[in-house]
Amino acid sequence: MKRSTFFQFAAPSIFLMTLLMVIPLIMAIWLGMNFITFRNITEPEFVGLQNYIDVLTDSRFWSAARFTTIYTAIVVPSRMVLGLAVALMLDQVSKAIRGVYLSFFLLPFIIVPIVGTLMFKQLFEASGLITWAYRVIFETRLPYNEGTVKTLIMLHGIWYVTPFALVTYFAGLQTLPSDLLEAASIDGANWWQKIRGIVLPHLRSLTILILLISIMDSYRIFDSIFVLTNNLNPVFKADTLMTYNFSTATQFQRLGKGNAMAVITVIGIMIVLIPNLIQSYREQIEER
Amino acid sequence: MEKTRNPIAKVGIHLFLIIFTIYSILPFYWTTMQSFKTLKDANSRTPKFLFTPTWENYQELWLKSVPENGYMIMFFILLAVVLLICMALFAEQFPWPNWVTVGAVLLGFASILWGIPEVVDTAEFYDYFVNTIIVTVGTVVVSITIGCLAGYSLARYSGYAAVVILIAALGFRALPRLTFILPYYQIGNALNLLDTRFLVILTLVAVNQPFTIWMLRSFFMDIPKELEESAMVDGANRLMAFRKVIIPIMWPGIISTALFSLLLAYNEFLLVRILTQTNWTLPVAISRYTGGEDPRHLTLAAAAAVSATIPIVIVILFFQKNLVKGLAAGAVKG
Repeated sequence: MKRSTFFQFAAPSIFLMTLLMVIPLIMAIWLGMNFITFRNITEPEFVGLQNYIDVLTDSRFWSAARFTTIYTAIVVPSRMVLGLAVALMLDQVSKAIRGVYLSFFLLPFIIVPIVGTLMFKQLFEASGLITWAYRVIFETRLPYNEGTVKTLIMLHGIWYVTPFALVTYFAGLQTLPSDLLEAASIDGANWWQKIRGIVLPHLRSLTILILLISIMDSYRIFDSIFVLTNNLNPVFKADTLMTYNFSTATQFQRLGKGNAMAVITVIGIMIVLIPNLIQSYREQIEER
Repeated sequence: MEKTRNPIAKVGIHLFLIIFTIYSILPFYWTTMQSFKTLKDANSRTPKFLFTPTWENYQELWLKSVPENGYMIMFFILLAVVLLICMALFAEQFPWPNWVTVGAVLLGFASILWGIPEVVDTAEFYDYFVNTIIVTVGTVVVSITIGCLAGYSLARYSGYAAVVILIAALGFRALPRLTFILPYYQIGNALNLLDTRFLVILTLVAVNQPFTIWMLRSFFMDIPKELEESAMVDGANRLMAFRKVIIPIMWPGIISTALFSLLLAYNEFLLVRILTQTNWTLPVAISRYTGGEDPRHLTLAAAAAVSATIPIVIVILFFQKNLVKGLAAGAVKG
């Protein structure tokens, strides 16, 4: 394909992405250097790097960053181990039943995150099923404090994204090299040896991809925590970067500071992402 | 892997899978139960597993007043929907070309959607529902149209520019929505487009575009170049070859990608919440029921959650294979 034809075909997409992603990103960096509230939203007042300094010296920002990191460090590996375990078991079941199981497993992933969170929350309402079960089993009320609320948030995080890892791993298992597995069986390898020697190496590249996507998604988690704990996040010290960013912008009306925080978060994401980008770049250059 | 023959292991595996199923669907089960309870039953401290189901929550959610011949109206609406679905399923059998049938079915659904408020006194939730459908369909159509053109050219052009665009798209896909919110608000304000579906659709398409072009590109790469080249030797220009030769065999890939766009548009919360004041979609409307002072939030929220889930479950039931395939192929690459 000629260069000019390429640009003709890709023009609408490139135009839209430039207009609504590249330009807004530059705007975001610039707006982060302004003092803006809802009152002067059309006439921002330039304050230089003040907002960026404000964010970096804000203890609540660092506490949110800490919780986001802990959340990611616990939720992402649990999700992947659970997903892999279920995928391995699903692989053992006959084809007809698989489809039925899969449609149930997919449910938490396909429904609207807000709705899924709301449904999850219903279990823990004063008249909820788990609240009741807890009271029956431990004969005391389910306490809501920093520890339990954070645990709940993480349980929900595991609940609703495990299907993604599960389905991806399951698809990866379908492409296992069967000749290698047969050879291993003939040599008398047991189940665990086959898993370690053949299955895990085969899933290595998939694992890296799931890991990257999961880290990025839990880094920018917003919707579900916003609904799960609503205005109570500060009480339970359960603010994530995104929810604190949102309340800085809406509740405290410091839109400029909010934008500066978003830009700093982007820099944080890029630190994780850039090695991957460089690698994809090399792959693409080689491929052509 | 080969299947185990050990009967104990077999039982163990099924037991584990059943427990995981319960874990996956417990919130759905509980919320559906709550949505059919009266407020008193729903608030009972000891959960009521046996209760007289009631439609009143759904009625309150969807209708301002209950029509006298409600069951008859419901019967006719259902009949029309079933007829339209049958028409769509048997589109191949009719003597006229496919697009006539598809157009007629779409027109039928649109007239049902807009016709209902003329017959019954619907509540606000219905307006949000219609709004969500408009935004979702608009996003999918625009995003797939421009995404196909870009994805195809990215699959076929191997110049440096293509690599740069792909890598930039990968980077932009990782950015949080919040980064773009205030700029979008400012742009919408400057162009006087705030609170319009047009702006919501446009921003959703843009936010979704990096993922869409990566996924579509990977599907286009699987189609051999020789196909359109032979068509072009026969005198077709590239756009014609693309439309007549490539697109017809791309449908499975397009459907997979469209499903992800559909989920994204249907699920979006933050963008819609900031960019609209009245033209809400379902996630924003539903988020209002969470944690309010109003005690009815328990049952109404449950009914709203179930109502918003059913359309998605129906879509996924039809296209589960495409979704799983998409997750396996494109989603992983993007």
